[in-house]
Amino acid sequence: MRRDDVRYAAVARDAGIRRISKLTWRAGAVGVACSALIAVAFGHHTAVQQPKTGNGNAGHPAIVIPAQPPAPAQGAGQVTSGAS
Amino acid sequence: MTTLAVATDTFSVFGTTATLLVGEPGTIAIARAIADAELAVVDLACSRFRPDSELSRLNAAAGAVTSVSELFAELVGAALRAARLTDGDVDPTCGRALARIGYDRDFALLQAAAPEARAGQSRARARRPGRVPGWRSVQLDRGRRLMQLSNGAQLDLGATAKAWAADRCAEIIAAETGSGVLVSLGGDIAAAGPPPADRDGAGGWGVRVTDDHAAGPEAPGQTVTIRSGGLATSSTTVRAWAVGGRRMHHIIDPATGEPARSCWRTVSVAAASCVDANTASTAAIIRGEAALRWLRDAGLPARLVRHDGAVETTGGWPHDPGPAGQT
Repeated sequence: MRRDDVRYAAVARDAGIRRISKLTWRAGAVGVACSALIAVAFGHHTAVQQPKTGNGNAGHPAIVIPAQPPAPAQGAGQVTSGAS
Repeated sequence: MTTLAVATDTFSVFGTTATLLVGEPGTIAIARAIADAELAVVDLACSRFRPDSELSRLNAAAGAVTSVSELFAELVGAALRAARLTDGDVDPTCGRALARIGYDRDFALLQAAAPEARAGQSRARARRPGRVPGWRSVQLDRGRRLMQLSNGAQLDLGATAKAWAADRCAEIIAAETGSGVLVSLGGDIAAAGPPPADRDGAGGWGVRVTDDHAAGPEAPGQTVTIRSGGLATSSTTVRAWAVGGRRMHHIIDPATGEPARSCWRTVSVAAASCVDANTASTAAIIRGEAALRWLRDAGLPARLVRHDGAVETTGGWPHDPGPAGQT
C-alpha cells in the first residue's frame, strides 16, 4: 500500500512536470508570435527618416526629405532658385 | 507675399551671385562677414580654376597620395556620399570630361573666349569621350586626411560644393546670430533658424523657382515658400556654350562623359539640406524620365520642367499648372 502511494505520487509529479513544460512552450510560442506581430505592425517606424537640416546629413544613408514640403505662394519671391 | 521685412545682401562669389536674407536686420553685417570667411576657405579648397587650390593640387598629383585639409576631406566626403546615393549618377570624377568639352576656366572667361578658339581647344582635346573614371577611383582616408586618385580621375566638386557651402553658411550664421537666415549661392538655397512669419503666423522664405537664378523674381516659373532645409535647381539651359556648332552644358552624364541628354530642361528639389536637394536635382537631370519615379519613391518634393515647358511635380510640391515658358 505504501509502495502504491509512492508510485501514484511519482506519476502525479511527472504529469505535473509535463503540464508545466507544455504551458512553458506554449507561452514561449505565443511570445514569439506577439513579437513578430508587433514587428510587422510597427516596424515601418524604424525606417522613417528623421528630417535634419544642413550638413548634419553627412552620414545619413539616404537623401533626406525636408521637414515640410514647399508651400504655395503668390507673387515674386524674395530670392530666385534657378541654375547658375 | 506678406512676409515681414528682412535684410538682404547680394554679392558675387564662385562666379555667380550670392544672396543673404536675415530675419533680424541688425545681424546682416555679421552674417555677411561669416559668409565671406566661409566661402573664401571653400573656394581655396575646391576651386577647379585656381592653381593654388587643394583640388588643383590633388588633380595634378598624378595619382600620388596627397595630404588634404579637414575641410577638403569634408567636401570630398559630401561628393562621394552624393555619388553613392545616386548609384554614381552624380559623380565627382567629371573633371577631365568637363575640361575636354571646353569648361576648363571660370565660366565668365569661357563665355568671353572667341568661338573659334573654343572650337580649337575642343578639337585638341577631343580624345575619345567615354565613361568617367568613377567615384570609386577616389580614395579618401578621413582619419589620416589622405587622398589618392586612381584611373586618371580628375575631381570636380561643382555638383555638391556650392550647395554644401550654402548649408554651412546658413548653419553657422543662424547659430552665431540667432536670426533666421536664407543663403542663396547661385540659386542653391539653404535656410536655417526661425523663418520669418507673416501676419497669419505661417510665413517662410519666398523663393521664385525658375530656369535661371539670375533671371529675377518675375521670371517665368513658380513662387513657393520654404521654412527650413534646402532647395536647389539644376538646368541644362544655363552655363551652356557652343563648341564647333554643338551645344554644351555643364551637367555631365558619367556613363558617357558628355553633357547629359535629358528630357528635363530644369529640375528643382527641396530636401532637408541644400546639398541633398542639389544631389537629387542633378541626378534627376541625368536620369531623365526615370527620375520621376525615383523622386516619388524617395518622397522628395520636386518640380520638373520638360523642354516644352510642361511641368511635373512630386512629393508634395505645390501644384503648378504650368507651362513654365519656352526657352
